[in-house]
Amino acid sequence: MIIPVRCFTCGKLIGDRWEEFARRIKTGENASDVLDSLGIKRYCCRRMLLSNVEIIDEVLRFYEEAEKRKEARNFY
Amino acid sequence: MKIEVLEKNETNLRLIIREVDVPLMNALRRIALAEVPSMAIDEVVMIENSSILQDEIIAHRLGLTPLKTDLDSYNLPEECSCKSEFGCNLCRVTLTLDAEAKEGTRTVYSGELVSENPEIVPVSDRVPIIKLAKGQKLKLEAYARLGKGKAHAKWQPVSMCAYKYYPKIEITSKNCENCTKCVDICPKKVLAIKDSKAEVRDLLACNLCMDCVEACPQEPKGITVAWEKNAFIMNIESTGALPPERVLQQATKILDKQLNEFEEQLKVEET
Repeated sequence: MIIPVRCFTCGKLIGDRWEEFARRIKTGENASDVLDSLGIKRYCCRRMLLSNVEIIDEVLRFYEEAEKRKEARNFY
Repeated sequence: MKIEVLEKNETNLRLIIREVDVPLMNALRRIALAEVPSMAIDEVVMIENSSILQDEIIAHRLGLTPLKTDLDSYNLPEECSCKSEFGCNLCRVTLTLDAEAKEGTRTVYSGELVSENPEIVPVSDRVPIIKLAKGQKLKLEAYARLGKGKAHAKWQPVSMCAYKYYPKIEITSKNCENCTKCVDICPKKVLAIKDSKAEVRDLLACNLCMDCVEACPQEPKGITVAWEKNAFIMNIESTGALPPERVLQQATKILDKQLNEFEEQLKVEET
């Protein structure tokens, strides 16, 4: 749904690294290099970022759409 | 006991500890994981939540966010003099969060939590707590308490606390024919070739896997891997709640306290 706060296995804080990770992956950087530079060494923590899908963004789209319609209705 | 610091920063501590035995090292490791207290959000009162995540999920995420801990000015709730279910100023910190998405979708970060004590704040203020679509609101009050790792992993002050034996690698030039098979197979790249001879490059990285010994075609083996019985390499990685050296100090204090209690109990049994 949304990036977990900590690594499931070891408990390292990884939530705060997600946005930088996602941004840099988008620019075409190598995932392994990004993880190394973020200081995420163990494979338990690395998979947390590598395998995360932000489904919350997909769900939020419905609410954004509903809000837009509500505004349009008020406008007319 | 002799301690040598290899690496030290806010979150990591690597030590060589000599002239100790396994039981003591293991006791320290287990106490660091399960008994050293740290601060975490324990109870959340939801005032308004129109977001798409349930109250429980948000509370869980808040609980897992590590908080900077001040062990000297706060008590464990069960040891606090207030004896109150709700806690007092000495065993509880209140944090509040009031977020609303006014201009379109936005992310609420841990930095938006307002603490009554400016010392007890999230370790990182960039942890996403939730995403809100336009018009959604999240308003809550959270109570942080000291707790121990054995009750819940959110109270663990360390994300890694491990030790290994100090390795001892010997390359016998008499038996070694410089085939470099041991150098190629080593997963930690402990060995290196220098002047066409195998040589130990990074002794501390060795994890005693013995692959190099197995790869050696010679009989008797040209390389031997052993470990020192009374020397260890200890590695501590803190979540940021406490500095790693403080975690170790606290662990030794707790061990001392437990042993004293044990001794007292024995005396009572004897009489």
